[in-house]
Amino acid sequence: MRPTVLLLLLSLFITSSYAGMRMGDWGMVMNENIEQLPQGCESVAGEEKITIKAGREYAKEFPGTIFGYSQHEFSFPKCTRVHVTFINEDKIRHQFMIHGLPAYLHPQGMFHMELYGEGETTGTFITPNTEETYLAHCDVAQHMEKGMKAQVKVGGGNGNLPSIPGISGQLNRDIYEFDTSFVNTLLTIILLLLGFASCLFFFIWRKK
Amino acid sequence: MKRSSIAVLLLSAILLSIIATFLYDPYLLYSRFYEYMGMPNYQAAPNSKPKPDIGEITVCDEQYPEWRKPYTIGGIDIQASDACNPDNPYEVAAFVRGTNNVIMPVLMRTQLADDAVVKSNDIDGDGDPDDITIRVEVAELNGRSPDGKELIPGYEIAPGITPGAWVFAPKSRGMATVNRVDLTANHLLRLPSAPIRVEEGDNVTLILENTHYFPHTIHLHGVDHTYSNNDGVPQTSEKMTMPGEQHIYKIKPRHAGTMMYHCHVQVQVHMMMGLQGLFIVEENKPNNWLQTFNVGAGKVRKPSVGVLEGYEQEYDLHYQGIDTSLNNLIQTSNDPRQLAKKMNRLYDITDGTDDYFMLNGRSFPYTLRESLITVEPNQHTKLRVLNGTPEMLALHTHGHKATITAYDGVDVNPLAQITRDVYDVAPAQRIDLDLYTKDDGLHSYGEGVWLMHDHAERAITTDGIAPGGNISQIVYRKYLNKNAMASGEGEDVMPYFSPEYYKRNLPTWMASDVFGFFDDVGERGIETYKDVILVIVLGMLLAVLLLLCKALYSCLQTVVAKLKNKS
Repeated sequence: MRPTVLLLLLSLFITSSYAGMRMGDWGMVMNENIEQLPQGCESVAGEEKITIKAGREYAKEFPGTIFGYSQHEFSFPKCTRVHVTFINEDKIRHQFMIHGLPAYLHPQGMFHMELYGEGETTGTFITPNTEETYLAHCDVAQHMEKGMKAQVKVGGGNGNLPSIPGISGQLNRDIYEFDTSFVNTLLTIILLLLGFASCLFFFIWRKK
Repeated sequence: MKRSSIAVLLLSAILLSIIATFLYDPYLLYSRFYEYMGMPNYQAAPNSKPKPDIGEITVCDEQYPEWRKPYTIGGIDIQASDACNPDNPYEVAAFVRGTNNVIMPVLMRTQLADDAVVKSNDIDGDGDPDDITIRVEVAELNGRSPDGKELIPGYEIAPGITPGAWVFAPKSRGMATVNRVDLTANHLLRLPSAPIRVEEGDNVTLILENTHYFPHTIHLHGVDHTYSNNDGVPQTSEKMTMPGEQHIYKIKPRHAGTMMYHCHVQVQVHMMMGLQGLFIVEENKPNNWLQTFNVGAGKVRKPSVGVLEGYEQEYDLHYQGIDTSLNNLIQTSNDPRQLAKKMNRLYDITDGTDDYFMLNGRSFPYTLRESLITVEPNQHTKLRVLNGTPEMLALHTHGHKATITAYDGVDVNPLAQITRDVYDVAPAQRIDLDLYTKDDGLHSYGEGVWLMHDHAERAITTDGIAPGGNISQIVYRKYLNKNAMASGEGEDVMPYFSPEYYKRNLPTWMASDVFGFFDDVGERGIETYKDVILVIVLGMLLAVLLLLCKALYSCLQTVVAKLKNKS
């Protein structure tokens, strides 16, 4: 029963001109929204064009990452139509996937662009009428963790997401060794002595 | 303080100690005490603790039971499977036809990339394609996230057991996890690295797309291949494939047999992390459409023409071990530089021991969900066994003596073939077995539910807890129940599906021990007047010891004062 229903649904989904699904041996663009207005938007307030490059090239800037985007934060006004050009510079699969968008516009709240190798594609979505920060990432295993994470702020956003390269810190922090070079050790000793002396002075002075 | 008071204190300390020992157990003081005092009174041992509540347990977590039946998709006949979690038949069809040759609705029901398996050109005109392009990616399982403690993408080898691992996986599309909330890996990302099948004489282009954060290669162990830029060995034949790069391996294997593939970068680390899989070269036959990948190994839903000539069914059995002190390193840092140092230079495999033992990427009881070998009487079943552990495998089939038909992909002369019940397989070695279910007292002792496991006893445990490890079963189909499990006559397997069992929190014989003979023992409390006095005496002893310390301190002080006066 279930497979037939699924099959029917899928065939509807595929043949529908509205679904916003493009797929091929180059990759895919899923849940695009070119026309439909988000709730609370009277019209499309403006148009924006962005280009996102993905690859290990962009990890160089951030020590401890392997993959990255050319830009890790994007800001758009509300109700704006955004044309995304996604460029993959690596010879492997990368994605640019935005999460948490209104589910009535994007199934599972997801706008998804994927390239199976080096190449370029374009996709469009319309920002909702909210002030929110959305997660954008590549969900190939461990790519987000190793640097392919960005945030999309709509209407100014509502704060930062964690561990965005160059923007915010880790919640589950990595621990690094202490730098024992002369300058750093000396600085540490001086600061320790400063704290020690100030405390002693404070108590002795109070007694007197 | 006076010397006399110290003496009094010492004396009372000794006295109190003797009283306390006497109250606790007089026989510690003198073993034949009963001759003077008579026998001690009966004091009941503490009661058992109540049996732990293991909550609701799912034995078979079936998602698509309809996938068990035989299918015909795109002209491909796909055999039935008895597994609780069978392979997705649409995916099998896409592997057999090639992702470039199936219609969109079939491909949409898989999570494969369009270019994962590309098949074309029937060069020898025998009805099957001969130009085969296979793309594999490298995926991490149970890795670390900078955003929280949850492992991503998650993969359980047994209830509650999530060691880190790396695998070669067919090129997929979409998310690595089920969705943004459920961080379990999608079903293509799993242990073991998927077995790959090609036909003898095919022009095979195997493309490694390194999606991982470390360098990797593919070494085609035992498969006929040329040396130059094709052998996967960084010291000799090629440069490592760096993250974001790909490497193309071209082969045209002239010899059929059960081989393997594995990463040859820092082999003692990368192979043990899981970058190893079966690589099977099938005999060249007409109309031989092969199932290029067998995700999760186990039953081959579309065996080759050659195999079907001698066997009714075929199973891939990949045995692996995990040393948590290696595998869980990837959960200690998110910085690849730190991981490279820890794994390559600080981890020492010569000090390592395996903790987990897996058959086809799972340990018991999850092997029951995927790796049962289900048979009918008088059937020939082909088993291809790979030992991916760093130690000998001593595979034992209860109730059956199977025949070894090939070693390392080379057939054994039929006259010299050995039939036995413990098959020793060296690390990286492969054997082909003919499991013949003829009830003749030799090949089979008759129908039933028969265990199948590595008889190196540590391997039937999960970090020392049994039953665990690589235990599975050979099940005659009439013993299968509607849960896709064997209904044996033994104990209930339910408690083994609870993570608590492998955390050592459940009494081993809990489910079968109605009297509670072997339940966990409760603790002793203060019950008799003797216990009350004992605790009071211990309190007194503490006070005396404290006073003694104080006396000793003042003693020392006077000594110091005297020394100062002298100087």
